[in-house]
Amino acid sequence: MALNRRFLLRGLSQGAAAIVALPYLDCFLDGKGEALAATGQKIPTRFGTYFWGCGLTKQLYVPKKEGAGYDLPPQLASLEPHKNKVTVFSGMRAIVDDSPNYQHWTGVAAINTGIAPAKTGQFESETIDQTIAAAISRGTRFKSIEVSCAGNKNESYSSLGGANTNPPEVSPLGLYTRLFGPGFQDPSKGDWKPDPQVLVRQSVLSVVADDRKRLMMHLGAGDRARMEQYFTSLRELEQTLDFQLQRPAMIADVKVPVAPGEMPLNKSVITLREVVPALSRLLAIGLATNQTRVFNMALSEPGSTIFMPGDSKPFHQATHEEPIDAALGYQVVTSKFSNYSMVFYAMLIKALDEVKEGDGTLLDHSLVLAYTDTSFAKLHALDGIPMLLAGSAGGRLKTGYHINGTGEPVSRVGLTVQQAMGMPVDSWGKGSMATKKPISELLA
Amino acid sequence: MRRKTAFVCTLAGTILAGLAINSVAPAAEGKDEVTSLRLLSESEYRNSIADIFGPDITVQGRFEPERRVGGLLAASATLLSVTPAGLEASSKMADSIADQAVSPKNRERLSCKPQTATSADGKCSTELLQRYGMMLFRRPLTKDELAPRVALANKLADSSHDFYAGVRQSLVSLLAAPPFLFRMERAVPAGKDYTLDAYGRAARLSYMLWDTTPDAELLKAAASGALNTPEGITEQVDRLMASPRLETGMRAFYADFLQLDTLGDTTKDALIYPKYSNQIGQMAQEETLRTVVDLTLRKNGDVRDLMTTRTTFISRPLASIYGVPYSFDGGEWMPYQFPESAGRSGLLTQISTLGMFSHPGRSSPTKRGVAVMDIFLCEPTPLPPANVDFSIVNDVNNPNLRTVRQRLSAHATNPACASCHTHSDPIGLSLERFDSIGVYRAKENGDPIDVSGTLSGKKFDGALGLGQVLHDNPKFPACVARKLFSYGVGTDSETVEASTLKTAYKTFADSGYRVRPLIRALATSPEFFSVPAPVAEETRTANNDAK
Repeated sequence: MALNRRFLLRGLSQGAAAIVALPYLDCFLDGKGEALAATGQKIPTRFGTYFWGCGLTKQLYVPKKEGAGYDLPPQLASLEPHKNKVTVFSGMRAIVDDSPNYQHWTGVAAINTGIAPAKTGQFESETIDQTIAAAISRGTRFKSIEVSCAGNKNESYSSLGGANTNPPEVSPLGLYTRLFGPGFQDPSKGDWKPDPQVLVRQSVLSVVADDRKRLMMHLGAGDRARMEQYFTSLRELEQTLDFQLQRPAMIADVKVPVAPGEMPLNKSVITLREVVPALSRLLAIGLATNQTRVFNMALSEPGSTIFMPGDSKPFHQATHEEPIDAALGYQVVTSKFSNYSMVFYAMLIKALDEVKEGDGTLLDHSLVLAYTDTSFAKLHALDGIPMLLAGSAGGRLKTGYHINGTGEPVSRVGLTVQQAMGMPVDSWGKGSMATKKPISELLA
Repeated sequence: MRRKTAFVCTLAGTILAGLAINSVAPAAEGKDEVTSLRLLSESEYRNSIADIFGPDITVQGRFEPERRVGGLLAASATLLSVTPAGLEASSKMADSIADQAVSPKNRERLSCKPQTATSADGKCSTELLQRYGMMLFRRPLTKDELAPRVALANKLADSSHDFYAGVRQSLVSLLAAPPFLFRMERAVPAGKDYTLDAYGRAARLSYMLWDTTPDAELLKAAASGALNTPEGITEQVDRLMASPRLETGMRAFYADFLQLDTLGDTTKDALIYPKYSNQIGQMAQEETLRTVVDLTLRKNGDVRDLMTTRTTFISRPLASIYGVPYSFDGGEWMPYQFPESAGRSGLLTQISTLGMFSHPGRSSPTKRGVAVMDIFLCEPTPLPPANVDFSIVNDVNNPNLRTVRQRLSAHATNPACASCHTHSDPIGLSLERFDSIGVYRAKENGDPIDVSGTLSGKKFDGALGLGQVLHDNPKFPACVARKLFSYGVGTDSETVEASTLKTAYKTFADSGYRVRPLIRALATSPEFFSVPAPVAEETRTANNDAK
């Protein structure tokens, strides 16, 4: 259906309120309308993170072979179907210099920002997903989408810096509503019309935006930064509205899902086995329908309280209290929890790989960084923090490697990720984690 | 419930009626500074909307995740900002609130009617936006804030032939704006420090005492300058404290102080504790709030008795956890007095405290001990030293340590662990006769539970002993005073100088540790409105450039 001015005016007269000057409409029609009527949408590259708490079991997850075509160790068994699309990092280190090791936080912040945090619970800069989102999310509805799998609204490790974290969706129904509820424009429907109400909302936001200069006055340094974050958020919202005025484009071959029912939400592995695939599938369709290009999934908090029903010891408690099995050389119960962390990760990867897109899959056009807060959780150790990358970022990243970091800073992975996402970055991190060296054998 | 709604409704009317219509703020004179931005909490937001637009306005949406700083979520309001997802949610809420406010059902409440509902009426839209703007921003709007909003309302009214559609959108532009979402506290120089201006004082008093936006009288007292005088402040504090709404305000404080929000994220393993449910969690929170409000506000009791009281309020599901008879046909809740033999001691042995600071499948003396010290004594446990090898305390050849005490005693023999665990564990171990959901038990895995403990060198036995030791420890009431002050001013409780609280604390102690005199002393003290002088301009510019 062609867009035309009469159609828009009819929309306005049907009871909806709008103050649009006609030149604005002309501009709107000549620009975005025509441009998007054209076919041949380029497949974008997406970025995501998967966070889990309390590390992995070194004896069970580090492949013996280094480089391409590694052997699959037992703790990664669930990744078997996607092994060639996954790269495993061992031996990468979060280096804190003079900063303290805030347990279950320093590792999270170091991997996310390349900077050892000066305070627990706070980031020294925006997190890597937000840096990438700022570069690639233009033209999508949401800059990024955060999800927390165990129902906790505080579990998000995506931030514009400081103590703020981007609030997560905490249930499949919540995620569905955010992505496909009010405001979603179904690309598979032929009768798309721009909503005149969007223009009204834009004019409201511009009144708020006009106060910026006055509101930034008379503020102390910290508060200035916080006020600036508000106005950054406002600009994101304005971009979301711009997106609403574009004809929605279907990139992949997916059907818009039906609303999931209410599901129980808690930290039991049994519940998570239902919730994680449901969230993953919704995220995949959200990416495929261009609602967002960046997501962050948190399985649990860093000091994970995930539990196995009937066993009184939750994950974090097990890491500290369970003795090391003398014969095996590792903690048996703890390692079972770590297996689950990878089982759930595999569910996410599977959901992305199931969506066909162009001549590959959604996973092929994505890059997913999986990371945790510590290596050996019993000691809150920061050397050898496990990290994984999945997807080839549209062909810019080689996959199926085992990289032994030999004590190199975790920030090298962050730098590699940004370069694979096509960003013009040549250094990242601070202090001993400042690096100019990406892991070049992975860059295609 | 119905009575409360009617009350709030009247109050909303009062705010409307009391406001001067033509007040527009003078331009800033240059000496004042915004010394803090405090993001509205969820309850502050909800209560403010109910007071401004009416209690029947539905507020649905998500709020920014908060963090506990110095034991209080309220302190994180000065660190948080509005994230993209947060603003997206907040603008949707704003839209829905404004839509309801101008709906045919509710528009009768608005203070003026347009000449015709099908076109702009500049006079009426100006009056409405000035009036609601003042309530939402907690100060008069400036000309720069008012004019574009009036223009927007008028333009939209004309283009859509609907006066209310225009006003609605301008209300959204107020509801989504920083001066509503943040309490922007302005201060002026006063000696070497700064002190809040009158509107800042009105908001600080109102949000601390009532958990809501300043009412018409407070705004009037701000406009007249009365809040710049000690007499004016005392008059308003006494008025606010005489209202039943003080309970609403103090409930919000107690919930934060006692960390009751933790119950929202507390799950129990259903295989081990089939009796527990989210409903139990919500009721456990209510039980604690009822206990605290009843003892400290209604009965004007000694706050220290919260550690020892056997009086509580129970519902039928809670009675089944406590294992006590429930026979009450007057409603959902009934007062209940535990017999001394039950071994229960005040808040320490309520389901909320016991359940929050446990694991999903078992109790945790360490969590409980750490929580008791942090919450009631303002003694947060330092972080364990990095890279401590906890495996030393676990003997691989003898893993059959049967009780928690046996397991934990291993902890305390390692010097690195002992520095903290010797403080926290003996407290928590004394509560071991109560399991992860607060049910009484005498044995664990067949062995009798030893509940002897020590705190600051004092030996005691079980929950009753712990309650008495805490009751007699002067750190407990001092901690209540410190947290209440920090809650009101929005600061990290660990950074408050003892000298700041000295005068108010003396009043508190002299009263026999009654909370009302403490609230009054804090809220009328100059320290409550005092803020440090803002940082110098150079620092600010440098920081901004770096960003």
